[in-house]
Amino acid sequence: MPNLTIDGRSVEVPAGTTLLEAAQRLGIYIPRYCYHPKLSVSGSCRMCLVEVEKAPKLVTACSTEAAEGMRVLTASEKVRQARRDVLEYLLINHPLDCPICDQAGECGLQDYYMDYSLRKSRFEAEDKILRQKRRAAGPYLMLDNERCILCTRCVRFCGEVTKTAELEVMERGDRSFIDLKEGRALDNGYSLNIADLCPVGAFTSRDFRFKARAWFLKRTPTICLGCATGCEIEAHHYEGTIYRLVPHPNAETNTWLCDHGRMTYKAVRAGDRLGKALIRKGLIDLEPALRETATRLEEAKGAAAVLGSPWLSVEDNAALARLAKDSVKTANYCFDFSAEQGIKDGILVNKDPAPNTAGTRTVKALYGGLSLEEFTGLLAGGKIKILITEAKAYGLVKAAAEAAGIRLIIFARNRGEAPAAAYAVLPYASYFETEGTFVNYQGLRRMTAAAVEPPQGIKPLWAVVNKLASYSGAELHLDSAPRALKDMDF
Amino acid sequence: MISVKKVNNRPLNLLERIYVWEIARGLLVTMRHFFVNLVNPKGLPTIQYPEQPIPLPGNARLRTRHRLKMRADGAPKCVACFLCQTACPALCIHIEAAEHPENLVEKYPAVFNIDLARCVMCGMCVEACPEDAIAMDTGEIPGGAVVREELLMTKENLLRNLPGEPSLVGAANRLANEYLRGKE
Ligand code: SF4
Ligand code: SF4
Ligand code: FES
Repeated sequence: MPNLTIDGRSVEVPAGTTLLEAAQRLGIYIPRYCYHPKLSVSGSCRMCLVEVEKAPKLVTACSTEAAEGMRVLTASEKVRQARRDVLEYLLINHPLDCPICDQAGECGLQDYYMDYSLRKSRFEAEDKILRQKRRAAGPYLMLDNERCILCTRCVRFCGEVTKTAELEVMERGDRSFIDLKEGRALDNGYSLNIADLCPVGAFTSRDFRFKARAWFLKRTPTICLGCATGCEIEAHHYEGTIYRLVPHPNAETNTWLCDHGRMTYKAVRAGDRLGKALIRKGLIDLEPALRETATRLEEAKGAAAVLGSPWLSVEDNAALARLAKDSVKTANYCFDFSAEQGIKDGILVNKDPAPNTAGTRTVKALYGGLSLEEFTGLLAGGKIKILITEAKAYGLVKAAAEAAGIRLIIFARNRGEAPAAAYAVLPYASYFETEGTFVNYQGLRRMTAAAVEPPQGIKPLWAVVNKLASYSGAELHLDSAPRALKDMDF
Repeated sequence: MISVKKVNNRPLNLLERIYVWEIARGLLVTMRHFFVNLVNPKGLPTIQYPEQPIPLPGNARLRTRHRLKMRADGAPKCVACFLCQTACPALCIHIEAAEHPENLVEKYPAVFNIDLARCVMCGMCVEACPEDAIAMDTGEIPGGAVVREELLMTKENLLRNLPGEPSLVGAANRLANEYLRGKE
């Protein structure tokens, strides 16, 4: 365990720790471009230069290991001068097109220039080496070689994380540039991480392109519901619209985020988002639709069934269970879902596409109910006249329900989700618009957060269920999400 | 502590208390102005705004109706960087950026609205613009609309170059230039 001094403060670090990480432990920030905690060290940008006593010249903090008795200076005049010089160097051929660059506002060059340089360049604009401007580098990425500072984070990400190695540095010296290998495209399923990794505006997202300025965006930490991995994310939104999802790195599950997960926000403002209920495909306000549904439930007395969903939060599943038990008063309900879980591709994507399979178990533990097999058999048996469930969960029993010609009451957010045969489609707030508890494949319980407002008149599913129950003449008293979790073993 | 100042007003005299004479005295002043202006309307300070424009001094600090400058090909000089929208304290600028299919400028404003009903004419947008694409040098004072919609300036009616405006590459605020030239 070497003991060293950084800016006069001593610290003991495990052998093999770099100076940059040792400084981080003391809360001393050393500027960096090429260093990334989850990638190999490259030492190419020289932004992290620090002074080590008795060393003949400045050393790169990201690639120098701490040694016993080292005395490091991170803010000496020499270091500050070096930072100014490195920035001037990195900006020699930079196009300075911040006004049209999506990275502006969260750009490493802008930030460090303001923090460490504020110096006028001594190089003429006319002498800049021009490189290729924007071009698509895959379905999700835009590449602008002129803005690149050759930190090679992107190259290392493709080589080390996705192991697909699409990128390479071509040429040498001031002619070097990042390029795709012959005939390749950045479509490895994790490509948008490169837009996050890129400290400048060389790689930017095609999906986010020109949609909003980074400094307008508000950040709400929440979780991704793209699969059972349940990555922590941040929803970036502005004036009620979500513009992008980015990973919120954490030790338990994720540093990165997959492209599929990043696009899940799109359903929230999609053209087919339900702002009203549907009865026999006709748009109708929620209240009359619920009254209609309640009447149909009344008719079917005893022949109704309720199916939970691993795509719904624990609260909403619990509300459905209460609906079945206390309002419809039936034993024909099922919260029994199981799926093979585990990371499928060695990075993040889970074998289980549903985000809350583990969470439904707690609902089952409290409310019991049929197993999925029994439930499917029951549906196929022809005794059931009406089924209440969520659109994606319906897919699990579709064949049986269709064959038996069961009347369907479906909870759905988008028109496209709902089966065409549904008798009633009831809209509910997405989990970007309301809180919900989800349990991921590791058993970690995580909450979504309301980043934006739901469309006018749209309520969380538990609230819709509560209304439906009161129209059926049995109050459930679900007036808040925690209320639905009452009695639950959590 | 609030300090209280006591004012001793002069008590009204009899004539003032009778009131009629004072009323007549006031009306006399009004009538004098009425007849003087009737005989000599040239001396009237009132103008028929907004039908009748006021000649403005060519001052560099003058802030009048906005315009968006045009490039030689008629395209907006604006690149939809949103800095004016960011700087605007009245939140009256609304921009929607889009990708230009062939132009190397890449980004351009598909929508650019200024709601003059909200604008406080502070000129921050002009200050903020890194492209010198927005200016407030038209010499027209906005206002006096019958319906609010008239006060919403869209890209179409914002885009214009002033008569005789030189090539726009690197052109700074025209009035500022004139002002500076006058100083030489
Ligand atoms: S003059 Fe001021 S208030 Fe008016 S648009 Fe410009 S920044 Fe906004
Ligand atoms: S600041 Fe200038 S370039 Fe930027 S959006 Fe406004 S007018 Fe356009
Ligand atoms: S961060 Fe150390 S050289 Fe780039």
